[in-house]
Amino acid sequence: MVYLDYEKIGLKCGLEIHQQLDSHKLFCNCPSVLRKDEPDFCVKRKLHAVAGESGQVDVAAEYQAGLGKEFVYQAYDTTCLVELDESPPREINEEALRTALHISLLLNCKIVPITQIMRKTVIDGSNTSGFQRSVLVARDGWIESEHGRVGINYVYLEEDAARKVSEEDWNVVYRLDRLGIPLVEIVTAPDVKTPEQAKEIALHIGDILRSCRVRRGIGTIRQDINVSIAGHPRAEIKGFQDPKIFIDVVNKEIERQKEDLDSGKEGLVPEVRGANLDGSTKYLRPLPGSARMYPETDLPLLKISRSFIDDSKKNLPKHNKEIEKELEKQGLNVEMIKLLIKQNKIEEFKSLLSVLNQPMVVAKSLLVYPREVSSRSGKDSKEIEEISSKLDSFLEQIFGAVKKKQISSGQIKEVMESLASGSKFSEALKMRRNDSGDIQERIMKLLKGKPGLSENAYMGLIMKEFKGKISGSDAMEIIRKFIGKR
Amino acid sequence: MKTDAVPGDYVEVSLIKRDYEGILLESPDAERGIVLLKLDSGYNIGFIRKDVSGIKILRKAEEIKKEIDVKRNKEKPNIAMIITGGTIAARLNPKKGGVDWLTSPEDLFKFYPELFELVNVVKVEVPFMKASEDMDFKDWQKLAKVSKKLLNDSNIKGLIITHGTDFLHYTSAALSFFLKDLNKPVVLTYSQRSIDRASSDANLNLQCSALAAISDIAEVMLVGHATINDDYCYAMPGTKVRKMHTSRRDAFKIVNGNPIAKIYPDRIDILSNHNLRDNKKSVSCDTDFLESVALVKIYPGQDPDILDYYLKKKYKGIVLEMSGLGHAPTKRARKGWTKKLKEVQGKGMIVCAAAQTINGRLDPLVYSNGRELLDTGIIYLEDMLAETAFVKLGWVLAKTTKRDEVRKMMLTNVAGELNNRLGV
Repeated sequence: MVYLDYEKIGLKCGLEIHQQLDSHKLFCNCPSVLRKDEPDFCVKRKLHAVAGESGQVDVAAEYQAGLGKEFVYQAYDTTCLVELDESPPREINEEALRTALHISLLLNCKIVPITQIMRKTVIDGSNTSGFQRSVLVARDGWIESEHGRVGINYVYLEEDAARKVSEEDWNVVYRLDRLGIPLVEIVTAPDVKTPEQAKEIALHIGDILRSCRVRRGIGTIRQDINVSIAGHPRAEIKGFQDPKIFIDVVNKEIERQKEDLDSGKEGLVPEVRGANLDGSTKYLRPLPGSARMYPETDLPLLKISRSFIDDSKKNLPKHNKEIEKELEKQGLNVEMIKLLIKQNKIEEFKSLLSVLNQPMVVAKSLLVYPREVSSRSGKDSKEIEEISSKLDSFLEQIFGAVKKKQISSGQIKEVMESLASGSKFSEALKMRRNDSGDIQERIMKLLKGKPGLSENAYMGLIMKEFKGKISGSDAMEIIRKFIGKR
Repeated sequence: MKTDAVPGDYVEVSLIKRDYEGILLESPDAERGIVLLKLDSGYNIGFIRKDVSGIKILRKAEEIKKEIDVKRNKEKPNIAMIITGGTIAARLNPKKGGVDWLTSPEDLFKFYPELFELVNVVKVEVPFMKASEDMDFKDWQKLAKVSKKLLNDSNIKGLIITHGTDFLHYTSAALSFFLKDLNKPVVLTYSQRSIDRASSDANLNLQCSALAAISDIAEVMLVGHATINDDYCYAMPGTKVRKMHTSRRDAFKIVNGNPIAKIYPDRIDILSNHNLRDNKKSVSCDTDFLESVALVKIYPGQDPDILDYYLKKKYKGIVLEMSGLGHAPTKRARKGWTKKLKEVQGKGMIVCAAAQTINGRLDPLVYSNGRELLDTGIIYLEDMLAETAFVKLGWVLAKTTKRDEVRKMMLTNVAGELNNRLGV
């Protein structure tokens, strides 16, 4: 790659980051679950070109309508009439709106208090309605980077599109599970001056997003980058999840635009391009104009009240670094903290901590045991997944039992094992309780047999004999009881 | 804050901290205290009017009037359309924020080019623009008169009427009774999804309506989505159809009957017997309607004294939507209806019965409760839809109020409203 003087060629980059939020769908109450099983039914639809303002058919819309395809939508028992375009939207998901506000505030944006939910015409079939609902929630923010401040122009809250399953000449199949999942779109100003800065900003915004209630994993975040050099209209490049290839993509796009200019190519217009795996790009479609936007007439103006904004400010999520510090204070080790953040279970952890205030026990039971137990009991990955989530659902009850001293914290794993083998909760608990009484008796017997030793000496003895069957703290309790009796 | 700016103008809106540029929009009726602005990105945002210190016009709205050439082809059949309002004829003007109506062939062509591939729309009549819930018998009468004129025009092969959905099935029933000696197809159609979206159901409904309008089915029929797929429509008999869903595109279902035809955008499959096109016939109107008829639904514990109100208001006829096979609270109920029913009918009121179960035929002979009510003189309307019965009763009572004659006419099949063979 030739060295490029980005300033000289007038490079302007802006990022568009789309992040799915961790909540039910934006305009209905369906769960945001991606389905892997066979669809329950299919619906066939056609879309038509629509004249936008003053009768103009929007350029991108027209381009796609020309294709005149039949769209097949795969639907499930988790699909509702709103997603099928058979019922007006429900009111906007307040939980998602709150998360969008959190993200906006962390990006130093100003909330737009009166705003209108818009329909963005999209007729590639990825929306049953023929449009994507989208609303401007915040504007005029900024984010710092090593290479200088970058403005945040807009933050939008919108619906994700349906997933494309297959495509033939006249027939495109989509799955409706992803349609309507709340999505935040962050649009930066074209302040980014180098590909390195683009990468830094993308990673930084990613960090902020992950401190809020967002979905994790492949496909939950998508980045587009707008690139232009002086004299060339911008290209919006879509379709990469990994900011690490930013640099390569931007450099290759600069080369392409330079070639366009050098060869004196005429009629250059803004366009949408797709990123290939090797960092090069391919033409997708012309960039849609603002003519494709019109209001969602089925919903009133969205008014974000002062109190809602204030409340969001008060409950702003902490940045991961702060969370880490807080968890460390509570006595979690670094490994557990990392796991908690990685598995996105901080909220769950906090709520379980209110049942049983033993951070390490709760963290292990939440993050480690269910996986260990299920991978031993399950035959295949599907079964392991099922057992693991079944065990998760018992955590509150298990901790309750520990708190009531029906079982010791050292027995949690055993309880999980009996649950995994199909026992009812009461049975699993009873078995352990008997055990526990049994162990207690055996320990007492052991202690009585060796009178006059120190606490530590007794501990050593017990741990040698009963390791794994009783926790240190429980053993100490018995020892103290014994010594106290003495 | 005073301004000369009107919706559509490109303006600068000044607030204390910041100015915004964009297109000024019409605020919704309920939001007059808000200034609505379309930003360059296409998004709309609002400001509280009293926070705005000024609105400066940067550019006046341009009226782009594109002349549209509606393609006509002598080889294509000619049809006429009547536009009455409803979702199918309303489009949002995003430039201004208000609603525009499609009232000319040019407007229709812009939105429904597919329709014009099949037929020439040579006449468009707009007798009124109303949501269907705002219509009543006077609108049905107007529609019948305009229809008659168009149907008797030898240049026109068939008629499409676009209509709001809420009360569309009342209109279809009314036209079925009002238009005599029908010579050509009269097709009523609608849309449940607004027409400014690419997914609108109006496209398929209109394409199939066009095929129905040039077919040989000389009936008043409602054409619309048969399922939630965009693949075919049913032609449904005007007196046997009812809106059965608030929002689905296949909202209209046939009750106690069968579709006349299954219509794909490119073909018609005839499914049942119907009146055939006869261009020699000339349509006449029979539109007299007695307004003092009512439709009342029976519910548990309902006080029969409600009938006194109708009597006092000089109602001549009532259709009761009765439970099950045709029941209302009897002598054994805490508030029985038997005595009151006898009394009002004795005073000259006609009482008819239709089924609130919607599907199935009434049969008052199965239970003693039914026989007790039958004895009061109620006219049991077999399998007739309550809504159709209401329309027919007003139409019949305009001709005669003599009990025996009314009974005979109500139980005589005029426009397919009675079906003496119910299938599964």
